[in-house]
Amino acid sequence: MTETDPFAADLLRGNTETIVLGVLRRGDSYGFEIHKAIRDAAGGDHEIKEATLYATYRRLEKDGLVESYWGDESQGGRRKYYRITDAGRAVYRGRVAAWVATRRIIDTLLDVKDNA
Amino acid sequence: MNTDIHRLLDEAFDGVEMTADARELKEEVRANLMARAAELEAQGKSPADAARSAIKELGPVEDLLGAPARRRTSDDAEPDLMELHARNKVRPNPGFVVRTTLLSVAAAAALTLAVLAAFEVVGGSAGAVLGLGLAAAAILGFVTADSLQQETTSNYAMPAGRAVSWGLATFAGIASLAAFGAFAVDTTAVTLAVAGGALALASIGLFSWLGATQTNRHKAWVRGLEHHTAAHQSEFWNDQQAAARFGMYSGAIWITGIGAAIALAIIFAWWWALVVLGVCIVLTMLVQARMQFRPNRTE
Repeated sequence: MTETDPFAADLLRGNTETIVLGVLRRGDSYGFEIHKAIRDAAGGDHEIKEATLYATYRRLEKDGLVESYWGDESQGGRRKYYRITDAGRAVYRGRVAAWVATRRIIDTLLDVKDNA
Repeated sequence: MNTDIHRLLDEAFDGVEMTADARELKEEVRANLMARAAELEAQGKSPADAARSAIKELGPVEDLLGAPARRRTSDDAEPDLMELHARNKVRPNPGFVVRTTLLSVAAAAALTLAVLAAFEVVGGSAGAVLGLGLAAAAILGFVTADSLQQETTSNYAMPAGRAVSWGLATFAGIASLAAFGAFAVDTTAVTLAVAGGALALASIGLFSWLGATQTNRHKAWVRGLEHHTAAHQSEFWNDQQAAARFGMYSGAIWITGIGAAIALAIIFAWWWALVVLGVCIVLTMLVQARMQFRPNRTE
């Protein structure tokens, strides 16, 4: 299992933007919550590094796929929330369609039977 | 509250040049670290351990800051507008073009007939005005929703739910005009006025909500371009004197124009006013084109 880990982590990392958009589609969220959602879904086997996530937020915001705003927490640090935009939703839909199509091709080429 | 976080965060950012970006990132990281530390404490770690682990998981601060600085320098190359446009071109869906054209013609015809009926140029009744107006409203509402769901070269398609809401708001707005128009023809039908008022309120409410919750729909290449050309996009942005001059020119054109229009309308015929006002619009546009978008001067 450990030998396949870097490969799986690469696959996950390659889809970071889409994954973050997918998390934000459920509702506005901030860094820790997004990271936690990914950690929980990955089951602790592999995860996306926080540095990668911060870079992703900045790129998504620059491209207009998410917007950010500061929360109004009175205690402790104020959280920077991210909200998905209409552009972000459109890009998300396109990427999911591409993912589904690609997955089918790779499954066929790798001769994957539904038994894994 | 875990105070170790603040000390460790300050240490981590020690020696980092505090640009606006870095400061904002530090605040963003702070709140996330506190949430992570609270989670670790809930799992049984001591506050100090939790703070240390949270910071350690973050990795080197330089990694967080590295990306944007590099990206900024790679952006400096002047983007070629034509090339960008060609590379991102989205051809409109032919079916959409045909149905929008036909529906717009139908809506224009219905609106024209409704207005003619309202002024009793053709035999008009309140029912005819209302029916034609509602038909136009329904068509234009559909066209609005349909258009917003199309992907264009510069915009992504709007999600279906929002597009339909824009369509409904458009429908309600035009339908309220139809109801008021019908009420004007038959002032005994108070229901029409009430319905018109309700529709107008619904339309205003829906439009305000949509406007307030609107998010970005532009594609990344358009945003990049806006950001890049903002500096020399408009002469008025850089040169406030030019903007002031434009204001005075427009004022002069319109005061003269409106005066002339009133005079000519009184002396000759009312439609002279329209001619003069048309000339004023053209003059204003010419002045604006010359002043706001003049070719780049060499400095």
